Amino acid sequence: MNVLLAILRQTGRNLRHTWRSQFLSLLTISLSVLIFSFFYLVYNNVLNAGRQLDDDLRLILYLDGMPGPELQEEYRSKILKFDEVEKIIFVSPEQAYARFKEQLGEDSDLLDDMPRDFLPPSIEIYPIRSLDSLARIKRFSDYLQSLPGVLKVRYGREWVERFYSFVKLMRAVVVLSGILLVLTTTFMVAHSIRLSLLSRAKELELLRLVGASGHFIRTPFFLEGALQGLIGSSLGVAALYLLFNWIKIRFAGTAMLDLFPFVFFPFPVQVMIVLISTLLCAAGSLSSTRKFLRL
Amino acid sequence: MVDLIKVSKTFPPDIQALADVSLTVSRGEIVFLTGRSGAGKTTLLRLLCGMEFPDKGVVEVAGRDIGKLSRSDIQALRRRIGMAYQDFRLLPDRTVSQNIAISMEVAYRSNQFIRKQVRRLLAELRLTDKHGARAGTLSRGEQQRVAIARALANEPDLILADEPTGNLDAETTALVMNLFRRCNRAGATLIIATHDQTIYRQPGNRVAVLRFGRLRSGRLQVRRSAP
Repeated sequence: MNVLLAILRQTGRNLRHTWRSQFLSLLTISLSVLIFSFFYLVYNNVLNAGRQLDDDLRLILYLDGMPGPELQEEYRSKILKFDEVEKIIFVSPEQAYARFKEQLGEDSDLLDDMPRDFLPPSIEIYPIRSLDSLARIKRFSDYLQSLPGVLKVRYGREWVERFYSFVKLMRAVVVLSGILLVLTTTFMVAHSIRLSLLSRAKELELLRLVGASGHFIRTPFFLEGALQGLIGSSLGVAALYLLFNWIKIRFAGTAMLDLFPFVFFPFPVQVMIVLISTLLCAAGSLSSTRKFLRL
Repeated sequence: MVDLIKVSKTFPPDIQALADVSLTVSRGEIVFLTGRSGAGKTTLLRLLCGMEFPDKGVVEVAGRDIGKLSRSDIQALRRRIGMAYQDFRLLPDRTVSQNIAISMEVAYRSNQFIRKQVRRLLAELRLTDKHGARAGTLSRGEQQRVAIARALANEPDLILADEPTGNLDAETTALVMNLFRRCNRAGATLIIATHDQTIYRQPGNRVAVLRFGRLRSGRLQVRRSAP
């Protein structure tokens, strides 16, 4: 208990003594966490939106004739041989006609003069919702194209490509802001701890002379770094939450927000961001004390 | 408590601070270390608390060879030694109480013990009214007393005092010496480096004289005043 109290008292003194540089570090950490978590939040929401779009994503194989039960089984086994899929639906020309008519609604009379089998038979394939990789869909599409009796393979190629380019861009931004977060937290904290060590050189020398253990001298600096990370990242996440709410209120009713739900991080992710930032800051502080504190 | 066996210490380029010094101080003893400035008194005290290491010879404190101690052992040993530095080594922006408390905080003493000791020492050294003053604002005499209080606060087994009365008037010197003697009666061993003849020219005092890094006659000089 005495050990803990002594170390906490020393930490409090450290914080009071160098509050200006502590404040600057705190501000930098908060901003870095805010920038990183903002992009990460957007990225997460884009992925969520992507998952929703995936529900509608299907590959349609137009066939030159409606396959019989045996051929259907053969198609099924060939498709499954390449990749697992969620479901495979065979659509006869009549079924396609009925769907089309339903889609036309009030204008369905346009089809009155058309034969009921004018649409080609098709197979609808719903891929498993792991469409993170555009290359995988492309490969799948190429494979399906090579199957006998397949006239054409169609999927929302254009939007899928655009969407995944955007996801890729967001991923790069998240990675870059993550690197920025790592650099600022560790370097900023390491720098502020170094300043703290330099400004308190006389006191540290005295502590050594009166027999302070390495633990007594080092731990408060370690705690100081960790505390900067904890408070700084908590402020960053809190600021993001305010920003998030502002966006939700400001853009309520717009098409984009109505189409895709814009959601905040779940609690475990918030905790994880704070925890990782705290660990990074503690690591920065540790590296600084190891480098500049000679005991 | 303290054993120095043929200890030599040279500082660059070739300043011999101590040469073949041997000295034994028993537990509970008071030894006055005298000699002119530069005679090696401070170096000897620094060797005893592990701030310096001898080039030759052995320095033993509480039965342990200082040269063979690990860093953490030296830290633990320093917590058992109270050193009052000639240049005080106070933290000028800290209060008097905080400066005194520091030697007890590093030993993880309880808050209650720290408060009690600080209050007692301030009273004994007539500094009670200065408890909240910043050390940097005190006179040199007051600073010296704070440095002494810090050295005694953790109830050390060995007290090393480097010119502890250099800035004190006769009355305060007597006050400090009485405090030292009380610590000695409580079991502490004291080694006091001083020029001040008034404090060591007392009947029964043991005095070691250093001259140009050597103990006079090459051995401990004991001078006992006539009864």
